[in-house]
Amino acid sequence: MGAELAGRVHLEGPEAVSLSEHAARNRSAWDRWSEEYVEPGRRNWASDEPHWGIWGIREAELQALGDVAGKDALELGCGTAYWSAWLARRGARVVGLDNSPRQLETARGFQAEFGLRFPLLLGSAEKVDLPDASFDLVLSEYGASIWADPYRWLPEAARLLRPGGELVFLVNGTILMLCVPDEDDVPAGQELLRPYFGMHRFEWPGDDSVEFHLPYGEWIRLLRAHDLEVEDLLELRVPEGTPPSRYPFVTPEWARRWPSEEIWKARKR
Amino acid sequence: MSLSEAARRNREHWDTAADEYQARHGAFIGRAEPRWGVWQIPESELRILGEVAGKDVLELGCGAAQWSILLARQGARPVGLDNSERQLEHARRLLTEAGVDFPLVHASAEAVPLADESFDVVFCDHGAMSFADPQHTVPESARLLRPGGLLAFSSASPLVSLCWNDDTDDLDERLHAEYFSLFREDDSDGAVQFQLPYGGWIRLFRRNGLTLEDLVEPRPPADATTTYEWNLEWARSWPAECIWKARKP
Repeated sequence: MGAELAGRVHLEGPEAVSLSEHAARNRSAWDRWSEEYVEPGRRNWASDEPHWGIWGIREAELQALGDVAGKDALELGCGTAYWSAWLARRGARVVGLDNSPRQLETARGFQAEFGLRFPLLLGSAEKVDLPDASFDLVLSEYGASIWADPYRWLPEAARLLRPGGELVFLVNGTILMLCVPDEDDVPAGQELLRPYFGMHRFEWPGDDSVEFHLPYGEWIRLLRAHDLEVEDLLELRVPEGTPPSRYPFVTPEWARRWPSEEIWKARKR
Repeated sequence: MSLSEAARRNREHWDTAADEYQARHGAFIGRAEPRWGVWQIPESELRILGEVAGKDVLELGCGAAQWSILLARQGARPVGLDNSERQLEHARRLLTEAGVDFPLVHASAEAVPLADESFDVVFCDHGAMSFADPQHTVPESARLLRPGGLLAFSSASPLVSLCWNDDTDDLDERLHAEYFSLFREDDSDGAVQFQLPYGGWIRLFRRNGLTLEDLVEPRPPADATTTYEWNLEWARSWPAECIWKARKP
């Protein structure tokens, strides 16, 4: 589907669909932050070892994905598209979608720099301009999985998957999101700072972006409501001796005791 | 059948604790309609089991069989299993009082002396899924269910295990225990309780051929009452109980 798409879609053209209020806010936030993601993006593009999340836990260890060779894969919220690059190198026909024009600019730069091309689409994962049942794998790693509303992006992911296709996405740990302080640069402690019931949309003082985090039961009901069978929930634990990440909101010590990241796996019926 | 060490300890615990438990909670958990858990939230609201009339239903860790008696009245064919003979004596008394009759089985849910594929529903409400090893009870439940059958059970949430303050013997707003060591808790009263991480339950269901259907995290109403010493204010903000539903395809 990759080559076919590249000819069909206006990669830099204007969007036909209007963005939700939070998608517009997150677009400007990510355009603003994109500069900080160039160097980490380049390191990931240069790496041959696919890895997950802020601690870089290796896919070889987690085995969240099976063999992707020959699969049509879509990354929702690809950012600088390093995960798409890893999937492409392992033989997938990959499409990367992101809501930030600046992030996609970086991604296109890396495509030229590393000599690896695949379609990159500008848009929100809440309304994807691609046909039904056209992918075997939909993946999101801190992409649409936290920056778009699950009640909008997950139905889209389900629509885009073929029967038997797999949805794999990484989000912040649910309990972590109860413990992360409002203040920037202060790591999560052991206090529960906000209620679990009703968790969905998160906004932070001094920051215009909007995040989404759901309770466990709500993810399960949402997945099943869209014909996705829950296959696994990997609750990631950092290996002993893991150094701090570049993100201040959680320490390796915390992430050694409680799950700081979770990977959901589900399959389209 | 020989008991596991945990099953032996829990049999001892419940044989000792049954009289006091039933004196304290028996009426509260034995009201006129089926209800779930610490705050006795009505099944008519949660709709976990659905229609039970005409179904073969196994209760794992039935205690004095308050739940099974109510299901019998709704037309189910229940079997109550408990690991404590003293609890089953209470159950026999309640069956007689209620004028209903169904089999009561004295065994651990880790090794159930009943035939494969003989139930449409296997369930418990803070029963054997908490007081027996899920690595044995989930495979047993899968074996006992007919194709299309439902496994449903409530238990304390992982968050309760994390936020229980042993010093005050109460829930509070702090993570006291680690998540990654969740599995077995040895209580000070001699009982052994089991608690899996969320992902641990999901993998265990799937390994035993069960499809995950739901995880209901009930929130008790502001005016909820209970005979158990659980902190309602805490449970209004964070889930104290999980009700898992899985189905045999």
